[in-house]
Amino acid sequence: MFSLQNQLELRKVTISSLITCIYLPSIITVISYKGILYSVGNGSSCFVLALIFVAELLKSFYLNSSSDAQAKKNKANKNIAGDILRGFVFLLCVKFTFFVGIILFGAPVLDCHEETLMLSLLLTLLTVFPLLLHTGVESSLQLLFGIRNYGKNTVIEMLVNNALLTVCGAWVGAVVIPLDWNTPWQKWPIPCYLGAVGGFLLSNVLTVLKVTLMSSAQKYPILNIFVQILNGFQVSKQ
Amino acid sequence: MLPWIQHRWTGLCLLVAALATLMLFLYGFFPLKYHSGRMSHMDDLPNFIEGVSIDGQQVYSSGENSVVLMVIDGLRYDFVTEEYMPYTGQLLKNKSACIYVSVAEPPTVTMPRIKSPERKKEKAQWRRTINFWRDIFAMMTGSVSTFADVALNFGAPAVRGDSVLRVANARGRRTVMYGDDTWLRLFPGLWSEYDGTTSFYVTDYTEVDNNVTRHLDKVLTPNEKKKPTFDFLVLHYLGLDHIGHLEGARSPKIKPKLREMDEIVKKIFSAMQTWDRNGVLIVCGDHGMRDAGGHGGATPSEVLVPLVLARSSDFECPHPLGPGPTVAQVDVAPSVAWLLGAPPPGDSGGRLLPALLPQDPRQHLYLLHVLSSHAVKQDIPTNTEFYKQFQRAEQQFAHYLATGQQSAAKIAKEFYEESLAKMSEYLTQTKTEFDLFAIGVAIVLLYAIAISLLLVTLYSLQPDTRRKTSITSRSHQRSNIGSMIAFLVIFCICSAILITSCFITETKSQLCNFESFWILGLFAASSMFTITYFLIKTGIERIKDLSLLNELNAIDMLLIGATLFHCWSFFGTSFIEEEHMTWYFFWNTLMFFVLVRTVVILLMYLSKKLTGATEVQEKPELQQRMSAVGVGILPKWVLLIALHRYLRTMNQTGDRWLFLPDTADWLNAPENVFYLQAHLVVGTIGTLVICLRNLRFLNNVKHIQSMLTIAAVVCVLCYRIASNTLETPIDDIKTWDPVKIVDVFWAILIAQFLLEIVSYIGILKSCGLQPTRNNQSANKFEYSKPKAKSEDYFYDNLMEEPWNVEEVKLNLVRGLSHLMLNDLMLIVCLLMRPHNVVMVPSVFVTCVLTSQCMDHKLLDSKSGKKTEVADILSRTLVHMWIGILFFFYQGNSNSLSSVDLGSGYVGLREYCPVRVALRMGLHAYAGPAIAGAALFATIARHSETWDTYLQAIWRSTNILAAHRVYCVVVYCVIATIFRDHLFVWSVFSPKLLYDFVATIFSLQALATIAQLQFLAHTTNYLARMFTYKSRL
Repeated sequence: MFSLQNQLELRKVTISSLITCIYLPSIITVISYKGILYSVGNGSSCFVLALIFVAELLKSFYLNSSSDAQAKKNKANKNIAGDILRGFVFLLCVKFTFFVGIILFGAPVLDCHEETLMLSLLLTLLTVFPLLLHTGVESSLQLLFGIRNYGKNTVIEMLVNNALLTVCGAWVGAVVIPLDWNTPWQKWPIPCYLGAVGGFLLSNVLTVLKVTLMSSAQKYPILNIFVQILNGFQVSKQ
Repeated sequence: MLPWIQHRWTGLCLLVAALATLMLFLYGFFPLKYHSGRMSHMDDLPNFIEGVSIDGQQVYSSGENSVVLMVIDGLRYDFVTEEYMPYTGQLLKNKSACIYVSVAEPPTVTMPRIKSPERKKEKAQWRRTINFWRDIFAMMTGSVSTFADVALNFGAPAVRGDSVLRVANARGRRTVMYGDDTWLRLFPGLWSEYDGTTSFYVTDYTEVDNNVTRHLDKVLTPNEKKKPTFDFLVLHYLGLDHIGHLEGARSPKIKPKLREMDEIVKKIFSAMQTWDRNGVLIVCGDHGMRDAGGHGGATPSEVLVPLVLARSSDFECPHPLGPGPTVAQVDVAPSVAWLLGAPPPGDSGGRLLPALLPQDPRQHLYLLHVLSSHAVKQDIPTNTEFYKQFQRAEQQFAHYLATGQQSAAKIAKEFYEESLAKMSEYLTQTKTEFDLFAIGVAIVLLYAIAISLLLVTLYSLQPDTRRKTSITSRSHQRSNIGSMIAFLVIFCICSAILITSCFITETKSQLCNFESFWILGLFAASSMFTITYFLIKTGIERIKDLSLLNELNAIDMLLIGATLFHCWSFFGTSFIEEEHMTWYFFWNTLMFFVLVRTVVILLMYLSKKLTGATEVQEKPELQQRMSAVGVGILPKWVLLIALHRYLRTMNQTGDRWLFLPDTADWLNAPENVFYLQAHLVVGTIGTLVICLRNLRFLNNVKHIQSMLTIAAVVCVLCYRIASNTLETPIDDIKTWDPVKIVDVFWAILIAQFLLEIVSYIGILKSCGLQPTRNNQSANKFEYSKPKAKSEDYFYDNLMEEPWNVEEVKLNLVRGLSHLMLNDLMLIVCLLMRPHNVVMVPSVFVTCVLTSQCMDHKLLDSKSGKKTEVADILSRTLVHMWIGILFFFYQGNSNSLSSVDLGSGYVGLREYCPVRVALRMGLHAYAGPAIAGAALFATIARHSETWDTYLQAIWRSTNILAAHRVYCVVVYCVIATIFRDHLFVWSVFSPKLLYDFVATIFSLQALATIAQLQFLAHTTNYLARMFTYKSRL
């Protein structure tokens, strides 16, 4: 449930979601025009991940550029190099967890390691990475498992939502694999990969939609129904 | 009618009704007219026609012929033109050959892709045989096959009834076969010479055909007396179909392939000219192909296939140039049989190909007479118009024979042809027609039963208090007579509706023929409608308080939602073939949810424990709520996920990925025999450990039960050694007789049960044997209540019930449930394939861990809520899931080919249908059986009093029955919608049979629980007698 109290945060959320809605489809469009959409599982398409990495990094700079002075002070006190190192190690751990988890939940054990690795990298980038950039190592895990409440923090709420929907998307993507359509995109891990991207995108679209609806609902109260419906879509427990 | 919905076993009764209804449905879906298996002989040819004698054998004779049947897979009608096949086109043009349009039955085809061990090859071959079954069956027996032919043949896909090949063989004809080896499996032992090619590689389209053609020169060359070396030659070419599958009907490779076929036609035809006898060449396709290349639908390009008929001498096609008349596939059989000088095969209902009919009117009429009287023998109703036509024709024929009038011959011919056409249509139809009225009634009735079961379940999920207060005084006053009259009125209305609909639909259904047996069925159906009506009515009135269902959490929602959704996924055929994938996906999701929940709980626990030093009074509660699972649950759960990941790789099942090598293949390879044995031993020992742990809940008299269990496990191991799956240093055991070992095993199991019951009756007490009391969870109970309670001691003993009856009953049921679980696991251990034995302990471990993790009293829920309904619901559903999951882990699928026939013969010397079927059934449904037994054992273990036990059992049996009927009704609807689908035999019908067996098994499971309770009551009664007497 977003609140309309903090207009600044709301604007940030909207803009960053909008950016995602633009850059992610463009990447997918470009690679599908290049004809390498079905090779996203190979190591050669690593550049996609690099692009996402850069984009998320830039987005997080924008999200973190808080104006209040106290946060800046807090940041300044910390050891930046150590933070980066810890974050990196944490990301590696998460990636490994994803990797093992995906294999446990049905990916091929003995082969296709490259593909599984790419998928787990993507999942890490889309779920934990933005959270990590925004909140830091300790709290990101707590947030994901719903142990710590994020209260009224709209940005974190959006990030957690993104993460959950991404995992859901990858999960749902696996549905098409057993169908007997014999299409090239039913190969592991393409449905899951695209499902994850789709889930992330969907979450962002929903965010933008909701913010728009909420602000216009102030004028036209009837739109509140749609806001309620969208809130129903929310995966995160609050 | 309130008592009905309150009765404990309404669910069971409704399930029985559902089973009966399902049988009605199956009756409508698979007409039971399978082939009679009658063999025909030359002596069957009629020698008298209406009293006029005729020398049948002499008139029937067609002279000496050699027949070549060339089947080109996937030959489409428009392929036989001068453009594609110039020589054949030329033949057709100068009328030395005839072309017919033949209508193929929609075949059931999926191409297998197999490159793996024997076991899987067998499965794939089975599938493949079924795919070719319809076409070859129709061509060779002259009758349309039904699913009963396939299903009753399973395991050995051979045509048991009469066929062209059998009659030809009986007449001493030489039959030769080159081509697809399906023919060899369908007609084993009937070929004088053969060379079968397997075609598991769709990509190969030259080699398969060359394998056929390479023998052609040799076989076509006549011997020195110009006699051909064979009488009947079958050539089956697969290459064209393979190209179609690979590249479609417009592929550039099609043309050269057809040229090649044309060359072969030319070769055969010119070879036929050199023979001294008549040669007949029949070229036909068994089905067409779509432009895209596949086939199997019902579009004209797939169903219409050409049939080219050429004779070597004095033959001119009587038909004008053009597309040619339409014939049926079944017409090939009598034609070939006649040409070979053999009678038409027993079940044949076809006609002769028109161009073959001789000019001589006497022979012509006689042939028509033979064929139509042959058809008449196959239960043609005598009151139909075409039968009368046949009689008239017969009269005219006799008239012609007596007087030689040409006009009589003409009339006879007309009449014969007319009635023959109708008869053959009738025969085809009765074998393929569905009894839609029966299907409709069955579906509606199943639907009603499903709804009433749902309401009964919901009713049982209400809290206790509500149910008691809901019996108002008003309902007591309502007299029995009133409800009887109400019942009768509704019953009459239902019967009237059923009978009226019978007349309105003008159906030919058996259900509406009002004969003594079926009228009973009709009234049973309408009384069932009445009962469900009252159940639904009372259900809707009485269900008021479902507040307990508010306790369901996300995991329960997932369980319920996925269970409900799953049935609807069967609308896609691949979801039936790959049903295991759906379940794996659901199970993974569930495990993932539970994993997250466990992590959350654990983190909550740790954080509260570390930070919550101030909340002193909360600590004991915290401790208590965690003690059920402990901190160790997380690693356990992760290990369980890993175990399931491993078990999933054990057996590849389904259809699409069947060919992939799996762990079972690896284990069964001779070099890995050590690992196989390790699996076997680990599985068996694991079962032993679990069984011994379960014995805690038994009245474990001086550890006798433990001894017996160990002895049973030793028997299992001995059996494995004796059947050479396990190596041992002791050679002696190898010589033992496996059958005897299994007999001993059964004896031990029976002894366990008897001992348990007897010890409860209390006989053993007098022998000095006491139940062990070495640990706290052992059953502590006394037959008599503590004395303090009954103060007036002189009061009547019997009135007071001085016995601790309820607790004894509960303990007995608890003991028996666990014993049942143990014995089931041991039996399954014995029946399972060596590599699958690890499944047995895995099922149990999964059940235990899952029910621990899904407990609703864990930390993340608020305390003090009534969760028993949610617990029962989730526990029942999850055990059902586990059962289905292991059903697929074990390598089963929804195809008949995955039924393991070997397990049926464990410990048997000879074939005994009931025992073999029981063993096979238990082996196939081992997972659901063990999971179900585990569920009932868990329920018995967790209930504190006899009443709560009864209630829990009531709820869970209702849920199980409701789910079963729900699955059945949804699937019946789907099967009815897709009754003309191309996969109806290979996919939809087997699944229907599986559903049927599953219904029988769940019925059996519920009946077993009912028996347990009955046993508890009886034993209790006996015990009272005994102890009472012994005290006196």
